Amino acid sequence: MTRTHCPYCALQCGMTLTPSEEGVSVTPRDFPTNRGGLCQKGWTSADVLRAPDRITRPLVRGESGDLEPVSWDEALAYVAARVRAIQAAHGHDAVAVFGGGGLTNEKAYQLGKFARVALRTRHIDYNGRFCMSSAAAAGNRAFGVDRGLPFPLADVAGADAVLLVGSNVADTMPPLVQHLGPVRAKGGLVVVDPRHSATAALTDAESTGAGGLHLRALPGTDQVLLLGLLHLVVADGLADEEYLAARTTGWDDVRRSVALWWPDRVARVTGVPEALLRRAAHLLADASPARGGAGAVVLTGRGAEQHTDGTDTVTAAINLALALGLPGRRSSGYGCLTGQGNGQGGREHGQKSDQLPGYRMIDDPEARAHVAGVWGVDPDLLPGKGVPAVELLGKLGGEVRGLFVHGANVLVSAPDALAVRRRISELDLLVVCDFVPGETAQLADVVLPVTQWAEEEGTMTNLEGRVLRRRKALDPPGEARSELDILADLARLLDSPAAFETDPATVFDELARASAGGRADYSGLSHARLDAVEEGLFWPCPAGSDGTPRMFTERFAHPDGRARMVATTPGAPADDLQPDRPVYLITGRVLAHYQSGAQTRRVAALNRASAEPFVELHPQLARRLAVDDGDDVAVTSPRGTAVARARITTGIRPDTVFMPFHWPGAGMANAVTNDATDPISGMPEFKVCAVSVARADLATALHEAPRPDTEEIPA
Amino acid sequence: MTLNAPEKASGQAPEKVLVIGAGMVGHRFVEELVRGDRDQRYAVELVGEEEYEPYNRILLSDVLAGRSDLKAISLPMPDPGRVQFWRGVAASAIDRESGVVHLSDGSTRPYDRLVLATGARAFVPPVPGLGVSDEGGQPRHVHVLRTLDDCRNIAARAINAKHAVVLGGGVLGLEAACGLRRRGVPVTVVDLDAHVMATQLDAPAAHVLAAQLADLGVDVVTGTSVAEVISAYDELVAVRLTDGRIVAADLMLVSCGVRANVELARGAGLDVDRGVVVDATLTSTDPRVHAIGDCAQAPGGMPGLLAPGWRQAEQLARMLTEPTYAEEADETAGPAASQEPVRLKAAGVDLVTMGVRASTARDTDRVITLSDPAGRRHVDLVVRPDDRGEPTLVGVTCLGAADVSATLSVAFDRRTPLPVDPLALLLPDGGRAEESTSPVRMPGSTTVCRCNGVSKKDIVAAWEAGAGTVEAIAGRTRATTGCGGCKDVVCGLVDWLNASDPASPLSDAGTGPADRPLTDATSPLGGGRSTDVTQRNITAPSTS
Repeated sequence: MTRTHCPYCALQCGMTLTPSEEGVSVTPRDFPTNRGGLCQKGWTSADVLRAPDRITRPLVRGESGDLEPVSWDEALAYVAARVRAIQAAHGHDAVAVFGGGGLTNEKAYQLGKFARVALRTRHIDYNGRFCMSSAAAAGNRAFGVDRGLPFPLADVAGADAVLLVGSNVADTMPPLVQHLGPVRAKGGLVVVDPRHSATAALTDAESTGAGGLHLRALPGTDQVLLLGLLHLVVADGLADEEYLAARTTGWDDVRRSVALWWPDRVARVTGVPEALLRRAAHLLADASPARGGAGAVVLTGRGAEQHTDGTDTVTAAINLALALGLPGRRSSGYGCLTGQGNGQGGREHGQKSDQLPGYRMIDDPEARAHVAGVWGVDPDLLPGKGVPAVELLGKLGGEVRGLFVHGANVLVSAPDALAVRRRISELDLLVVCDFVPGETAQLADVVLPVTQWAEEEGTMTNLEGRVLRRRKALDPPGEARSELDILADLARLLDSPAAFETDPATVFDELARASAGGRADYSGLSHARLDAVEEGLFWPCPAGSDGTPRMFTERFAHPDGRARMVATTPGAPADDLQPDRPVYLITGRVLAHYQSGAQTRRVAALNRASAEPFVELHPQLARRLAVDDGDDVAVTSPRGTAVARARITTGIRPDTVFMPFHWPGAGMANAVTNDATDPISGMPEFKVCAVSVARADLATALHEAPRPDTEEIPA
Repeated sequence: MTLNAPEKASGQAPEKVLVIGAGMVGHRFVEELVRGDRDQRYAVELVGEEEYEPYNRILLSDVLAGRSDLKAISLPMPDPGRVQFWRGVAASAIDRESGVVHLSDGSTRPYDRLVLATGARAFVPPVPGLGVSDEGGQPRHVHVLRTLDDCRNIAARAINAKHAVVLGGGVLGLEAACGLRRRGVPVTVVDLDAHVMATQLDAPAAHVLAAQLADLGVDVVTGTSVAEVISAYDELVAVRLTDGRIVAADLMLVSCGVRANVELARGAGLDVDRGVVVDATLTSTDPRVHAIGDCAQAPGGMPGLLAPGWRQAEQLARMLTEPTYAEEADETAGPAASQEPVRLKAAGVDLVTMGVRASTARDTDRVITLSDPAGRRHVDLVVRPDDRGEPTLVGVTCLGAADVSATLSVAFDRRTPLPVDPLALLLPDGGRAEESTSPVRMPGSTTVCRCNGVSKKDIVAAWEAGAGTVEAIAGRTRATTGCGGCKDVVCGLVDWLNASDPASPLSDAGTGPADRPLTDATSPLGGGRSTDVTQRNITAPSTS
């Protein structure tokens, strides 16, 4: 029996693995986040361990053009030689690393070190840029630190009201819904979403007896909605002026900035009736401790964050929480619902283009000196800032000639994915570490088979900032190895000036030293210590500390101890409606699948539950387009077309269509999405673009065919 | 269409831009100019006549109604590092030859480029006793509502007022009337037109609105005006209407529209008509002088509302900061002022109008009307094919239907595709169907446990295979083991299954769920109470 956690999302549900005939079987375990619950992905997670097409030997593309099995020595020697050749010709920065938010802390840390010390490239970033970065940027700006939830998830259950902006937790993190139970029973759940998603349905009166509020904001208008709520808080005298005076700076600017967002203007922009806005504002204010409530919580998800004004949208959410005096108070606060399994830890230990371990900034001389000291190298050897993910992908085939991919499947998950495919095919070297042949691995020159969750030791940091242990239950199949081993070997072959440990506990100890004194301080943690506590420990956890379940109770992380309120201005979608593209496309997730689907599409039960992509559209729009339920529908932007079956539902706005993005091929939603990014966070605008929608058999007549692959690739 | 915007900042002294008027349009222009002027090519000065910090004039009627706090209407102060802001001084004259503006405090400010955003003032009609046409001043307690001071004075008077008269049944007059009523002051609105809001509303909608106002306690008198304002010792006591009636009043608000503030421009010899005459680039007859907002008379007419004034502010700022903007400018002109949405902001009234009215629709337009006077609702929609033949929403009058007004605004503003039958636009949320959640009535294919993809059919099958409790069902199907949200439904299903089957495991203490012989049970889905059912159809209740 092995006590570990689910491989998928940031809830990191506790589970127990028991040896079985097939390998291991999964049973849920009572853990604070999942309280004994598991969704279908978790229950079936062991199936991925025995995926029939599991990669078990290193593969190198041979002369035939196919990937052919070779020995580890051959594979790694080949990679090292190609890296040397590329870097000799084009410089160190010509080789890049693309990481993932699903990697353990140890792997994420080692990957950042590998890029900076062994490859000496400034080009490293990761898929967390698609997931978390706007909330991270806003959190750092406001609070001086970025921990998704600065309080244990269970605190939410004590609140009177919860505002969920752009998050479909009922599909993405089902066991989390348990924590919303008491709030729903009080009628205190407010969900902002253009769709009547499974989460929005939690506000239906028939589902709770009490009912909450569903604000069906037009895509891309979340920030306006939040500014409108804050306007009402000011207009109706609901702000916690005492808290604002004692614990924040910038309130005067922010208060003035919302003077322009009066209710009927906001109703007109967002499509949310004024009466609902007023009810939502009062519901939140009445729940705030300052006004005698039990607590109010504001939470954002990707729906709010994945916009060109995503950082400002999250900032507006934080400003609302601060105006109501929530952060740092019992059963109250602002939080971001981190998505990927280790989306939190993954962004703390050096995978980000501008960061070193412990959330240190790479352009800070002190930070460089500290980390270089731990690594035993000269600080001047460390490269400078790289560029965020979308910009990095834009350099492929140009400035960047070689790419390592770890724990990501950019061919499906990146915005404007057809353009990414074109650029990737221009690379001189693509090395992919994966355990199944995902879409990106299939294009690789070298595929290195790696261990999965149940085959390795390590730590993960969940959406609460709770550091917990991932434990090994069985041996990996064939010749699969941990990335820690692979990176150590490659580093040696590349004559790295620093040593690379391979034992996860030892790597963690090094990580802890590197993080000491940083914003995400892990120096009081070790595998042994985490093994001794049942429920994990929360960072910051400096040496000698027992961790920090609740942050901000006394002070915020800026030097003056105050939260910084910043006035924001809403932006329009980068790709907004026009006469020939009069409908918004929004993208999102289904319960049965995770991210690009590389893992979950290999589980029969999940494919039975959710076999293919679809286009959700309103009956009014369907009738106008002569589309019947189940017809193939083409959704087209200048970037590409996705074709999938129509699912006609009144649960979506008539001016908007929805597609899940878990599938490659003809129905790939990210062929259509826009790669415009937030100027602060670099996060792409997955959540809104303008499209034309037509029945697929009519679409080819109406639109030009998608751009051919031969088209010139922008540099 | 280009302006002679300066090319580069390097080596040159910044160009002095002087903005007269710190109202909402002047304020917006300064913000946009500073935002766009990254190279600091411009040195910006703003002159505002009021002592106050800039504020949101639109919300004054809300403040009057006690619906908004003063704090909620203060606008951002111009960045002191970029803008010199002179408050509480008026511009008294422009000397275009020397490029200076004389201020009321005796000082002068030089300019390279002058932007007039002097706005408008309330129009007070020449009514005997109002003191506009003769020398006497206005009697006390007669007000207009244009500035924060006006708002404060009216609110102060409302504390002791016994009856108020509002002259003018336009949007502002009605908002103010509702606001005064909320403060407990009886109000009579007097409107010369046949019905209120005659500029925006057709008679049927206006009549419903009048009824709604009456419900709120606001008295509306139409087709008449004030013939004389009667005062004693300079204090207002009553008004005499043109139909002879006398209405006692100790508070009066004159809300009869506005007149552009053009004296400054006229005195400087600029071309002035109803407003300062400007061309499509918002430039007056002097290339160094622009005008925007309520004081400007552009080729498309006077803005009259905030949104077109803001668009002019943005347009001018972009023309000064973006070299490539000029070519786009024609396309961004936006709808004419008559197309702008107008919303009546008053507690208890939800009214928005935009675009074409029903009475002015073309024969080929589709006009959909919902007339529900007793329910205090009236909706007119005007749908017209655009130049590509796509039907678009070109007119909305929406009263008392708050559920749909926001949706209609979005469809009007963004020209999103309309339903084939525009009648659907009248349904909130596009007509979302209610779904049955009763475990008994839901079809077998309905998903009960979303987390684990378990349908009602699966649960019935598990029950039939012997799982007679929620825990046993969970063990077999994993239902309830995710978020637990379906526990009630599964409980309901199990209760219902057990209740319809006296031989169920729960009522038969001696038999464990797994051992329960299938043949002893009656499927509740099968109907009937036979004891020898060996096969059940779990999806089609009618066949057994």
